[in-house]
Amino acid sequence: MRSKILLLVLMLIFTSFFSLIGCAPVEEEPAVVEKADGEKEEEVEEEVEVIELTYLSLAWQEEVIEAKKDIINTWNEKNPNIQVKYVQGDWGSIHDFMITSFAVGNVPSIFHYYSTPIVDFAGRDFLADLTPLITDEMKNDVFEGAWTSVRLPDEKIYGIPFLWESRITLYNKDIFEEANITPPTIEDPWTWDEMREVAKELTVDKDNDGKIDQWGAGFGLRKPAGMMLNLSLGFGGGFVKEEDGKHIIEVGEAEKNLMRTLKAMLYEDKSTTLDGIGLSGTKMLPGFYEGKWAMIPVIGVWARHRVTTDAPADFNWGVLPPLKAVTQAQGASTQTLSIPKDAPHQEEAMQFINFFLDTQNMAKLAQGDWLFPTRKSSIELPEFQTEEHGWDIATASVEHLKMGPWQLTPGFAEFQSRVMNPVLVEFFHDRLTVDEAAKRIEEEGNNVLSEYQ
Amino acid sequence: MLKNTLVTKKEIEQLKLLPFAMIPVIFLSLMPIVRGIYAGFTDHVLGSEISFNWLENYRIMLNDSLFHQSFRFGFLWTISVTVSQIVLGFGLALLLNKKIAFTAWTRVFMLVPWAMPPVIRGIMWRFMYHPHVGAVNHIFMRIGLIENPINWLHCFEHTIPAVIVVGIWGGLPQATVALLAGLQLIPPELYEAASIDGGNKWDKFRHITLPLIKPITVAISALLFMWNFNAFGLIFVLTGGGPAGTTRVPMLFAYEEGFKFGNMGYAAALGNVMVIIIGVIMFTYVRQQMKERA
Amino acid sequence: MKKTKFNKIVTLIPSYLAIATYIIFLVFPLLWMLSVSVRPEAELTRLEPSFIPETVILEHYATVFSGPKMIQSILNSIKVGAMATVGVIALAIPAAYALGRYSTRINKYVIGWVLVSQLFPTILIMIALLMILIRLGLTNSHFGLALVYMVWTLPFVLLMLQSYIKAIPQELEDAAAIDGATRTQTIMAIVLPLLLPGIAATALFAFVSAWNEFFFALVLLREPELVTLPVMLARLVGREGVARLGPLAAASFIATIPALVLFGFLQKWLTSGLLSGSVK
Repeated sequence: MRSKILLLVLMLIFTSFFSLIGCAPVEEEPAVVEKADGEKEEEVEEEVEVIELTYLSLAWQEEVIEAKKDIINTWNEKNPNIQVKYVQGDWGSIHDFMITSFAVGNVPSIFHYYSTPIVDFAGRDFLADLTPLITDEMKNDVFEGAWTSVRLPDEKIYGIPFLWESRITLYNKDIFEEANITPPTIEDPWTWDEMREVAKELTVDKDNDGKIDQWGAGFGLRKPAGMMLNLSLGFGGGFVKEEDGKHIIEVGEAEKNLMRTLKAMLYEDKSTTLDGIGLSGTKMLPGFYEGKWAMIPVIGVWARHRVTTDAPADFNWGVLPPLKAVTQAQGASTQTLSIPKDAPHQEEAMQFINFFLDTQNMAKLAQGDWLFPTRKSSIELPEFQTEEHGWDIATASVEHLKMGPWQLTPGFAEFQSRVMNPVLVEFFHDRLTVDEAAKRIEEEGNNVLSEYQ
Repeated sequence: MLKNTLVTKKEIEQLKLLPFAMIPVIFLSLMPIVRGIYAGFTDHVLGSEISFNWLENYRIMLNDSLFHQSFRFGFLWTISVTVSQIVLGFGLALLLNKKIAFTAWTRVFMLVPWAMPPVIRGIMWRFMYHPHVGAVNHIFMRIGLIENPINWLHCFEHTIPAVIVVGIWGGLPQATVALLAGLQLIPPELYEAASIDGGNKWDKFRHITLPLIKPITVAISALLFMWNFNAFGLIFVLTGGGPAGTTRVPMLFAYEEGFKFGNMGYAAALGNVMVIIIGVIMFTYVRQQMKERA
Repeated sequence: MKKTKFNKIVTLIPSYLAIATYIIFLVFPLLWMLSVSVRPEAELTRLEPSFIPETVILEHYATVFSGPKMIQSILNSIKVGAMATVGVIALAIPAAYALGRYSTRINKYVIGWVLVSQLFPTILIMIALLMILIRLGLTNSHFGLALVYMVWTLPFVLLMLQSYIKAIPQELEDAAAIDGATRTQTIMAIVLPLLLPGIAATALFAFVSAWNEFFFALVLLREPELVTLPVMLARLVGREGVARLGPLAAASFIATIPALVLFGFLQKWLTSGLLSGSVK
């Protein structure tokens, strides 16, 4: 009995020891060796090295995943010497994954993400400068507004923007027709005040029980900071000002106007449901389908996809152009492809990106995600101009997309999640007045920013 | 003198049984932990040079009101969730320990929260708490408990209890399993002997069940306390720490500092403070409980 | 006779009521998930949620099985979980005995390590750990991942097992010793059988934490064929946590089954302790 135990102990010591010096994953290694052998043979024949690239994708809907794999397969057939491997990631963990990967130097060749963190990563010197690798064709075809989302003050570009989105208003056509309201056109959009009036008109207590049965509007205010930042551009604000090279948080009249307008709709006009506080735009959709609110203003364009899959078959809906304050301007971020600084074969990776994001492919990807392509040549394609699902109105909003002044502010991510979001949540719960909220955002915000400058 | 040598002898006996667990532990646990602790005394910001900065992180922490807020909620959350799990878990374990019908099935089904993949747990509860299409509002309104739908996860009055209920749900199986196994270890002979001595049910419970279940109760409550204190995935999915940071547990705070804002040094310092505060509480708790037994 | 039986049933009613309440609370989300997984997505957005779907469809299950390699990832998870569980229990039993039966300075150190390893935010250790694993060539292998799980579950496995050992009366061992048994014999013949429920419970803990673990698996396994279940499921969730609830619920339901089956299997041991243990 004793010897048996001793044997067991010895075995365990050996296994753990050998595992530590790296002999253990034997089962995996032969496969790698075989593969390498296969490649070697090829090498002898063609005398060229086969480069293997990995592409980390964040697509999560079947159709988009398939579309991407198709494009990659086509590339692999055409380019036997540069083989691209599709690797699946997910939106929830990509940030942690990339940070860990950068820190240990084990990175994918190309990865999909979006502009705000890309600017942050670039500032930390994790990414390859793509400026010299971008072709003139692409440089000229992609909207300047999209380039600014990934450009640092030193004019270097760290990601290729390929998808972007705007915020539009969804409306219930039946309710509008019943109330004899004519929706605005692209040429003549509603101002915020006009929308407010309509919202008031559409707010009704149908059965006179003192409870409102139909609201004019339902804003999704889960993380209000992002929405307020984007909208503030149209009001002529932007929350951030640069003074002597220093970034300062400023809540001026423009920003206060925006805050006042939304609060008035919630608590004075009582034309907007309070249920939206804490819910994202998509979570407001069920009530929209049931006619509990006639409009969901400022919702992402991609939400149209949800409506087409979720809504009852007879649900009659449409898209309204972005609301006009001073202008119709909106802040936007782009989805991007970037190459880590530590990744080998950066030129080949860029060649692949050029193919992956050509006019046709980019259009395909944008259609799959119900977003806009950043290439002018792609967005002019008929599928983005059709009236179906409001594409024409949605697409027209692209010209109002701008980069916010906060895009390059150091420490802005911390300000947004630690100061702006919580203060605005309290503000929308009517625990703070406009001036109190503005003061707190400025004071606490500048405290946070000062740690970074 | 005699006692002293006896102790060493015991220690040698003990060491004989320990070594083969130690090699992987040193490489894969102790070494990274030591590095993590060290990082808490540096100004490590992702992408920059690292330099040792003594206690600077802790000085900043003293004036960080969000840190204090997160710790206050962290304790409220951890204590209420852990105590409920142990009390409810003990109740369920006692029921399942009885020789009555259906207990085998119950023993399997009670494990459901544990068996459900973590990624869906938060999403399911978020769906059930949805103010418009969620089951919770629907059921509560049916039975007349509430009149209007409640936005459970996003209003200042209800969010904390709503999150705590999910926390209890998520850890109840662990508490029950551990305690049930503890109950099963008690030899029936002891109860039989007590019956012969004329003890009633309550006497048996107090003098046999409670003392014998105590070591495992101490162990599992300590573990649950630490796990609950460290759990942030569920809260992250449910509320993201909101509304306005009221449900941001310390671990979520440290995670945001390190991975969202890149302040690795400060995040590690937060980790060190958590280890010290909770560690001291746990150490005294575990030691005191063990001493009482001896 | 009849009356006593009736009485017995009456006294059991509160117990059954209590059990029913527990089960409803614990199982409801799973049932709701099942119900979500078999109905069209349009039905999920009705303001009056009904528990029983109006139309039952299996489309979501078809989506799940046709798309990502679901089965493969379940098998991977079972493999890693089993390796980690068997490994950690084998490592921990002698060590737990040492801690449970002796009380020396070493206990303090071990408990100190247990506390620190459970309390220090794992995510902040990740980078250092990953660097070591890369140097040892342990990334991209199930064995490496299982080893990490073994080491990171060892603290609580130790703590639990040693407390179960403490619950076994020392007198039983002493009696065996008087009969002339060696310590190893005592452990094998007396302690182990009695410890079975404790081992089953602890193994369950170790398995489930490996089965559910996400971040280690995400950063350690880069090859698509090696991916484990939690990583696979996370991919069904999109940006800002927007998920296609139908397929996600279907996949999660499938993913819940193996764990429940294992529980069904283990729960026998969980409660079989003394049936096999003979007391001399």
